[in-house]
Amino acid sequence: MSNTKTVVVVAKDMVLTSIIDRILKDSYRVVDFSNIQSSLDYIYNSTSDMLIIDIGVGTDDLTIRILNEIKGDPIFGQLPVFAIFDDNFVIPEWNCLLVDDYLRRSYLEMELLTKVSLCINRAERMVDVNPLTRLPGNIAIIKQLQKRLDSGEVFALAYADLDYFKPFNDKFGFSRGDEVLKMLGRLILNTVKGRQPHGSFVGHVGGDDFVFMMDLEHIEETAVEIIDNFKRIIPIFYDAEDRANGYIESVDREGNKKRFPLISISIGIAHNKAKIFSHYGEMAEVASEMKTHAKCSGGSCVRIDKRQYTVAG
Amino acid sequence: MDVQALRSQIERIDTLPTIPSVLRKLLLIIENPKVSLNEIGSFISNDLVLTSRVLKVVNSPIYGFPGRVSSISQALILLGLNVVRGMLLGVSVFEAMQKTMLGLWEHSLGCAVTARIIAKRKDLKEPEEVSVAALLHDIGKVVLGLKFPDEYKKIMSDAETKENFIFDAEKNHFNINHADAGAWIAQRWNFPRSLVEIIEYHHKPHLSKNVPVQTAIVHLSDILVRAKGFGFAGDNFVPAINSSAWQSLDLSETDVKEILKEMEDSLSQAEDFLLSDE
Repeated sequence: MSNTKTVVVVAKDMVLTSIIDRILKDSYRVVDFSNIQSSLDYIYNSTSDMLIIDIGVGTDDLTIRILNEIKGDPIFGQLPVFAIFDDNFVIPEWNCLLVDDYLRRSYLEMELLTKVSLCINRAERMVDVNPLTRLPGNIAIIKQLQKRLDSGEVFALAYADLDYFKPFNDKFGFSRGDEVLKMLGRLILNTVKGRQPHGSFVGHVGGDDFVFMMDLEHIEETAVEIIDNFKRIIPIFYDAEDRANGYIESVDREGNKKRFPLISISIGIAHNKAKIFSHYGEMAEVASEMKTHAKCSGGSCVRIDKRQYTVAG
Repeated sequence: MDVQALRSQIERIDTLPTIPSVLRKLLLIIENPKVSLNEIGSFISNDLVLTSRVLKVVNSPIYGFPGRVSSISQALILLGLNVVRGMLLGVSVFEAMQKTMLGLWEHSLGCAVTARIIAKRKDLKEPEEVSVAALLHDIGKVVLGLKFPDEYKKIMSDAETKENFIFDAEKNHFNINHADAGAWIAQRWNFPRSLVEIIEYHHKPHLSKNVPVQTAIVHLSDILVRAKGFGFAGDNFVPAINSSAWQSLDLSETDVKEILKEMEDSLSQAEDFLLSDE
């Protein structure tokens, strides 16, 4: 797979198009369109990394409307849009023109290349964070995991999730449930970074699923510390009465009233010391399997993969 | 000044300055790269300004669980070492603070120590939370002294010459007392409701609805520390213990004796913390 980024350029002015092409062509794959309508098919069908659009006094309302629709779409809104304005163009309110950055024509030679690279860079940094915890999300997690597997380094992957989170949400509502998730994200991040400040990674898959990656020798004690910290903090998310009881009353999946223990946390750990993984999915599966073992033992628990694998071939 | 105007003035306070002796020690701690979160935690738990600062940050909406955290050890787990270090770097000193109410730091720390002793004796699940509340119970005095230094000096001298309780002298001057001011700022900073309630009612523990036992403990600690003559809280009187506080605590004579004995040792340690220069 080539790593060259694709920049889509929409400009009526042929002179402008050729200037942009000349500046960017050594660093990017540039695809030109003379109006936004004709570019849509390309944008919707291939993965572009940036849209550069020429906007001036003569730009019609339809162009602006289409641009705003692209930016308003949850999937394509991630695409960074870079506007190039005529020098005398009066910039409207930013909420009428959804772009991420701009440059005046007379600065093109000096700034375009670095501005475009910054803009793409920024978009990549922000694209995949979980909105609740601000931790890296699924795409970033997979990338990180695959990168580590490809490099061949020995490391460990932990998969954490909560037990009895559903009855908690049912009883107290999702807004208090979200508070618990935000707390958990913060707790895992600080505990992991406290044990291994460099080379560790924490991500939020979604819901109550979190992952972290660390050196193998630190991960088990870190997981135990996460559980201890969690036990100390989770009671403050309950009402005084539930805290005193040590359980809550809520309904199970069949709708029956039942008692549930306070939320606990299960952590499963996989590592590539005894078994070689080539694809991230295999390693995630082992971590998830270990987590299921942890769950069976009841209460907060850690399980690490201790199997001896025979090396095939 | 009417009460509303006074309240909005107080609520505008962003952070409290600490006293020089605490800051000196703080710098030593921050500069030590090997210091652990636990060590920082036990240091912070000894100072009312640092404690209020940490609770303010961890309960701010940025982290997403405002009004939940009332203990320092929990706060530190959730904030992380870097945030805590950074936050402590911004602590400023207010020389006048020590002069305004010399002894308030000792009084507050003494109350924290005593409240922990009583909470443990009463088998409370979270003695640390009661101890934090006791440490912060007079935060209103710091706030009033900081915002209205000249008026507060006058109140202090009024309390002395007219032989008044400090909270009566405050009331005469401001129409509110430090318990009100403390509760305002605690609320403003999103402290947990239980903590606000203890600060607000530490002189009227019978009014506490949600945490009567904890409020009674802080009330009793306040009085015991005054009775021991440890620190200075604005006047030289030892007020009577509220009868409902006695009832809700239900302490035997032996209990009280042993609490007083335990206080002896712990208070001299607390004194070392505040007075030593290392």
